[in-house]
Amino acid sequence: MEYESVKDELLSVADTGLKFATKQDASAEFEVYVHYGSGSRVELDQGVVTAKDGVVAGCAVRVAKDKRLGFACVSGVTAPRVKQAVKESLSVVNSVSTQDDRFEGFCDSKGAGRECTFNKDILGVEVSELVRLCQGMTKEARAVDERVKVVTAACRISWDAYAVANSRGIAKASKSGSGRCRVDVMSIEGDERKTGVGHDAACDRLIHAQGLGEQAAREAVGQHGAKKLGLTSVLPTIWGPEAAGAYVLSSFGQAVLGRPIVEHTSPLCDMMGAAIASPELTLVDDGQRPDGVGTEAIDAEGHAQQTNVLVERGVMKGFLFNSYYGRLSGVGSTGNCSRGGGPFGTPIPYESIVGVGTKALEIPPGSKTPDQLASSIDGKGILITDDPMGIFHSTMSTGQFSVVANRVYLIENGSIVCPIQPLSVAGNYYDGFRRLRGVGSDAALGYYQVRSPSLLFDGFTVVG
Amino acid sequence: MQRLIEVLQKAVEFGEKLGAQFVEARYDDLALRTLERTDDTWKDIQVKSRMGVGVTCYVEGVSGYSFTASPTLKEIRAATEKAYKMAKASAPAAELRLPITEAPPVKSVRSDTLPVKVHPRERDLPYKTELVNRTVQTAMEYGTSIKNVRGLYGELHGKKVFTNSEGSLIDWDYLVTDLRCLVTSKTDSGALVVGMEGNGGTYGLDHFESKGHTPEDVGREAGSRAKEQLKAQACPAGSFRALVDEDLAGVLAHESFGHLSEADFVVTGASPLTGRIGNRLGTPEASILDTGLPDVQKTGGLWVPFDDQGVRGSRTVVLGKGVLLHYLHNRGTAARLSETATGNSRAVSYVFPPIVRMTNTYFAPGTLSDEEAIEKLGTGVYALQSLGGQVEGNGSFLFIAVRGYWVEHGEIQYPLREVALSGNILELLTHVEGATRSLQIRAGYFGGCGKGDQSPLPVGLGGPKLVIDGVTFGGKA
Repeated sequence: MEYESVKDELLSVADTGLKFATKQDASAEFEVYVHYGSGSRVELDQGVVTAKDGVVAGCAVRVAKDKRLGFACVSGVTAPRVKQAVKESLSVVNSVSTQDDRFEGFCDSKGAGRECTFNKDILGVEVSELVRLCQGMTKEARAVDERVKVVTAACRISWDAYAVANSRGIAKASKSGSGRCRVDVMSIEGDERKTGVGHDAACDRLIHAQGLGEQAAREAVGQHGAKKLGLTSVLPTIWGPEAAGAYVLSSFGQAVLGRPIVEHTSPLCDMMGAAIASPELTLVDDGQRPDGVGTEAIDAEGHAQQTNVLVERGVMKGFLFNSYYGRLSGVGSTGNCSRGGGPFGTPIPYESIVGVGTKALEIPPGSKTPDQLASSIDGKGILITDDPMGIFHSTMSTGQFSVVANRVYLIENGSIVCPIQPLSVAGNYYDGFRRLRGVGSDAALGYYQVRSPSLLFDGFTVVG
Repeated sequence: MQRLIEVLQKAVEFGEKLGAQFVEARYDDLALRTLERTDDTWKDIQVKSRMGVGVTCYVEGVSGYSFTASPTLKEIRAATEKAYKMAKASAPAAELRLPITEAPPVKSVRSDTLPVKVHPRERDLPYKTELVNRTVQTAMEYGTSIKNVRGLYGELHGKKVFTNSEGSLIDWDYLVTDLRCLVTSKTDSGALVVGMEGNGGTYGLDHFESKGHTPEDVGREAGSRAKEQLKAQACPAGSFRALVDEDLAGVLAHESFGHLSEADFVVTGASPLTGRIGNRLGTPEASILDTGLPDVQKTGGLWVPFDDQGVRGSRTVVLGKGVLLHYLHNRGTAARLSETATGNSRAVSYVFPPIVRMTNTYFAPGTLSDEEAIEKLGTGVYALQSLGGQVEGNGSFLFIAVRGYWVEHGEIQYPLREVALSGNILELLTHVEGATRSLQIRAGYFGGCGKGDQSPLPVGLGGPKLVIDGVTFGGKA
């Protein structure tokens, strides 16, 4: 399939599947999802090149009959394959007696939003160009310092499209594309190994790889000579934009989702309208940002994507729902249906049952520069600049987290003093938001597509 | 199947004709089934068909990979051409090449597939939903202040076929089954706590009717643990002696050490284990192995008789009595480092190229009884069950235990909530003081290993219980 015509072709496959399904069992309600994604990826890992190019294509069918539900998916988007998915979903639903009494039907048709602004020059990027970008990032990093020993650079371009058709009249499609690159640098001196990362992702322009290798290398080299903190104590911690993005995604990013809200496993479920964070915090999930890599016209069940305010000046304002959980909560879908579990999504969305996911979390910047945040700390404090290890292994329900931050610096009397060795940081996510002392002005798009400024928290225990 | 093998062989010939020095072609036809019940509601009943072909072409020691969901000769030839073009375009940029060195062809036989008494394809859906119903109902009976009970069943099985330029011909059946339960309860103060249990691996459904593994066993353990957690306290922060259970020993073996022993990190110098074969890294009590051929009946685990480059599974002693002995390899890294290929080149599905991955990674058992181990711990933290973990290239790691106990003078004092253990693996291996005689390996359908963009890959991990000194615990100051 070609980018220009892919939506029409997928809509045709979805329509074929839906018509076939209805013929098989007119008493059942169906939803057909068809996905097609094309991508090329090149990695240059310390001189070892690996390259991949291929098409991920498949379809998923949901069927509902007397409140009994079935799901089946198959790889491939040919008519025989979509018909196979229909038959298998029917065989599931016909062999179970269990009902979901809360199911009220698939998604109702409700307009469409906008797709991301896609720069079609991305389609013309050749493999040789991806190789050249990887070589450029590697060369830059190595030029910074002879201690830069290991450099891994990767670039990819991809475009994806999907169509949804269901028995309630939805027949919609969306498409998007992006370029991404990342460079990981390790600087080695004796037994000391320090790392740095640079990355870029964009849908509305070609990726900017220039400067990333140098930036990552300087970050890695700058941590040599790290001292041991030698302390177990409760200290103020500044989480830089990358670290803060991971913090927000693994806490609120999971706790605001429809399922834990409806099932009461989220500690936020009874907090609508309550003050749950410092008034300095506002949090939005923006599925309609023109330059957002997660921006699509429709979500994974055909509902229009939209912009949702979750926290406004510290007050809980909204949760995120697909149509199932939206109906159960009484507020309807927020356009956040997703296919693919966890905070990272999946490269093979048709294999996942529908769920609820964030599209593009964003914390508006505050007024304090990073230096002003640091200078507001009396005595000792910690600056964390990486996404700490274990942040995505924490339990959203309890809010307890314990992570190891590798790229960390000691703050003393308002100034960043020196790099320190990896240390353990522990606390409770939600207590942290209540004790949020400052929001930086340095908002940046992190690797996990969360746009966050630096955040200064009180009350976490550090061991180092 | 014969026709498909011929198509794969034609793809290999076509790739060679284009100019590739070596070609591998593989076909997966896997069926996956997921069942999930939450409280009284069935959240998820699904089947998946994952069928497709992946082709790797090697040009001057550089690999190009492509794939297709369509098993027709036309589409497979197109994928082969793409793979060749990717390799050809990338080859000039390579500074380090990993060419395939010649090896005799490998042929599979029927007995390479592990037989089970009751294969999941022999039981209908209601039989499997009842496994989950029994699990959830039992958990509800044993839990208190329950907010939520989830019961899960998963199965993955089907054909894996492989051929290459050497004429290898491999055809075997993959199998993973898994039954799990997660209970969330609420304390009087409003905090949520969890209890969980589950077991998975290359098991027939008969496994879930055997002692210790029945739905009732799984539900009872999850419910009781959540109940116990209602009274649990926060773990103190600091450095303590630790006793870790079999699950956590497995995570330590896999996350903290196993990934560093993967030779793709070694050939590039990214791993701190680079160039350290023969070096003593740990105490004589610390031995770590990886095998695709575990004794599943005895220890549990995942059966992986061949990797996705057609190399037979083997048993690799990575760390023997504290000394680094071998890395885990694909064919290219093995040739580069002049070691034998270990059967560790694996892909999540046909959509991905095979990369160096673990199979079943575990600490070797020792000589202690459970009672002796807790006595040896003395005062410290007994940490149990895993919520996963992570390691950095510098050897620092973090993993999360679901629960624990504070122990004083060899006596359990009180339960602890979620416990985070961290440190540097190379330092920690020098603090391993002893291991129990038991060996348990867990694998599963849910969760698995992530590396790059390939996740989740079913793996087995395990060990005995380990006594370790000087582990850093994140917690309350």
